[in-house]
Amino acid sequence: MDIDKWFSELLDEPVNELVQKAIDEGQIPIGYFCSYVPDVMLSVDGLFPVRMRAPGIAGTELADNYMSSVICSYTRSLLEFALDGRYDFLQGWVFAASCDHLRRLYDNLEYLRQPGFSRILDVPHKTGDAAITWYTGELRLLAQALADHFGCDMSADSLRTAIREHNRFSAILSHIGEHRKSDHPVMTGTEYHRLVITSSSSPKKALIPILEKIRDDLQTRAPLPPHRARLLLVGGHLDDPGYIGIIESQGGLVVGDRLCTGSYPGLMPIPETGDPIAVLAKHYLTRTSCPRMMEAFRERAEDIVSLARECRADGVVIQMMKFCDTWAVEVASFVSYIREAGLPVLHLERDYRLGGEGQLRTRIQAFIESIGK
Amino acid sequence: MEKIKPGLSDYLEFNKYRAINLMHIGRMAAKRGPFDLHRDLKRYPWLLDLLKVNSLLQRLVKGRSGNYRTAVAMVLGGVVDGVIELLEGIFYRSDHLILHEDLLPPEIFRAMGLQPWVPELLGILLPMIVPDSMQKYLDAAENEGIPPDICSLPRATIGMAMKNAFPPPLAVVSSNLPCDGGMSSYTVIAQQTKKPAYWVDVPFDFKSERALNYFAGELKAMIAWLEEHTPGKMDWDRLKEICDKRNVMAELELDIWDMIRQRPAPMAAEAVWMSHLWFFNVNPGYDTSIQLLADLKSLTEENLATGISAVSHEKYRALLWNPPTLHYVDLLVLAERTYGVSLILDSMSFNRQPFIDTSSTDSMLKSLGSIIMQGPMARHTRGPAEMNYFPDIFHMVKHFDLNMVWVAGHIGCKNTQAMSGILQEKCRDAGIPLLVIDYDLMDSRITPKEGIQEQVGNFMENIMKARRLD
Repeated sequence: MDIDKWFSELLDEPVNELVQKAIDEGQIPIGYFCSYVPDVMLSVDGLFPVRMRAPGIAGTELADNYMSSVICSYTRSLLEFALDGRYDFLQGWVFAASCDHLRRLYDNLEYLRQPGFSRILDVPHKTGDAAITWYTGELRLLAQALADHFGCDMSADSLRTAIREHNRFSAILSHIGEHRKSDHPVMTGTEYHRLVITSSSSPKKALIPILEKIRDDLQTRAPLPPHRARLLLVGGHLDDPGYIGIIESQGGLVVGDRLCTGSYPGLMPIPETGDPIAVLAKHYLTRTSCPRMMEAFRERAEDIVSLARECRADGVVIQMMKFCDTWAVEVASFVSYIREAGLPVLHLERDYRLGGEGQLRTRIQAFIESIGK
Repeated sequence: MEKIKPGLSDYLEFNKYRAINLMHIGRMAAKRGPFDLHRDLKRYPWLLDLLKVNSLLQRLVKGRSGNYRTAVAMVLGGVVDGVIELLEGIFYRSDHLILHEDLLPPEIFRAMGLQPWVPELLGILLPMIVPDSMQKYLDAAENEGIPPDICSLPRATIGMAMKNAFPPPLAVVSSNLPCDGGMSSYTVIAQQTKKPAYWVDVPFDFKSERALNYFAGELKAMIAWLEEHTPGKMDWDRLKEICDKRNVMAELELDIWDMIRQRPAPMAAEAVWMSHLWFFNVNPGYDTSIQLLADLKSLTEENLATGISAVSHEKYRALLWNPPTLHYVDLLVLAERTYGVSLILDSMSFNRQPFIDTSSTDSMLKSLGSIIMQGPMARHTRGPAEMNYFPDIFHMVKHFDLNMVWVAGHIGCKNTQAMSGILQEKCRDAGIPLLVIDYDLMDSRITPKEGIQEQVGNFMENIMKARRLD
């Protein structure tokens, strides 16, 4: 089996072969829209989480009628897919009220196309004790709603099992990702991102044996041919490995990522002791690093610089979705901060749908040349 | 209803308020003296635009007459008075000055003895006076990497911060209101001022007791933080006094709202929206605010009793959704004179939580929290829309007996833009004519006033089948 090709095919459709198989076996797919949604809670007792994507979206004409064309294209793409019935396989979805665009997508979906189970989590914009207590309350309400609607076991034991399985899975994926950071990487950023995105949009259990094999095979894999520059990729939602593919086609190897849909901070282990809902609330609220969180600009900026140093990156590429207010304002400050830390930085704005490839190639080429590589 | 046209007394009234405004300005200038005044104008070049306030007065009273004209002039005069008080604050009480986001409660800052300055204020006032006044600040923000699709109010505010146009504060206080753009702008403002900053978190689903307690806790934490980082100390008796007076203001406003339900309306437009915008958001609990609202109520009562319509030939009654078209704020004057459109109420003024329970410190914080969360912008940018956004529109249409909804479709307001499709369908189903004006709040380069006029004209003549009155 050509593993790369197989993983690529899994990303082509929301209902891939693994999702279909799980549905056929009686498992219940629940969509989720943001990294603040604890996907672990959607992995218990017959449920499995599917991160919402709109692969291969051709246009958003219907969605634009409702949301206008000045809204983030990720949310418009999801609405377009929903209106096309592409998410009809889902038995529910869980939103996070994390940004204006997702909140309004929720409002539009509530009006236009509601699944059997729909919930929006009120995610605080801070991470102090009061906020964690608030979010714990939100997750308790979610647990109750899931139990009531699907009859699933949301007990502490059931959640602890889900956390353990999540950690086991994340450890395998993290281990694979570490191979990107070595002096002579054996895996491209594109390959790795493909694994990460597949993992968030397919039942994880089915992927474990395959990922374990990949992890073991990497020990003996030959290093990649030399690249011109090592890059850290930063930004929000990015679920198309093809975007990284274009960057890498110009000689910039993505050796680390700090993306909403990436390995860091998404794969950090969750504590396995204590009240699981309180633990999940704290983990998801504090580990997810989004500019929507007030008061934490410096931490986010320092995080990027230290990750770049850890990866020995020659430069940082920040990509953000056009019309995203929080990233847009923050990036302006990030760029100065990262430059002052002595790291070259490139800021790219993009649409959800992969387009403008020629322009992207040119920007990457110019950036790599500008850093003398 | 009797139709009235501007007469000699109207011109005298206009000149009276023009003279009062000049007197306020002159008094401040004299107090500062030539040396300080010169330095102030150099330090804060936007002062020059504020000085042109009488040009706004002239535009707003054009074609209006009687009590309506007096009320509009009076409200603007009150704003001038309030601005001068704020300016005196930055000149003479800078050791107590804080910058705060526009939806946080000034009642608390005043009760703490602090001198509040709202960074967004100039972005709201200046384009009304000088339509292109914010363009240099918008460009400054864009030149530093802030994209042009961010709402122009926070973008201009960022530009002002980058151009060092604000008075230097002791601290900065903000929140996640009203939108992502507004919230994010304070990251930059805090960096630019290099002062300690605090953020207050407002829940998304704000109607539960749990949310109210959470937010009251946030306000308490903010007070404690301010006491630690500024000379401000909370005086709860003072807060009660301010809140009691604000309640009096709210009663007066509700009385006015009751009267404008009548057809034709005895009061309209700036007399209603500008009075709320300024006196409830900037000067709540002031004796001068109470007096102004009482005078406004008297003028409205008098019109009602004598059967005088604010807008001559009132033919249509409109709701304005979103902030008014700031760089073309006299659009309403044109609409009145050309088509007999009377703006009855707007989304920025209408609220569902007018009173503060002053029985205890906790009840005051909860009420203030509720006013913020239930207030315009906050209520309408969080959710769910089925509970907060559309019901307000349709309630106002029914309650105030309105013929049409005008949405000032500010291109940067993503919260409104993303609701446009559903709103169109719902208005169509309810048989309510809907006008969405495509424009930018303060950048006339996006849609100049002629473009706005054309959209209004097309709507009135093609959808409403209105005949021009001019």
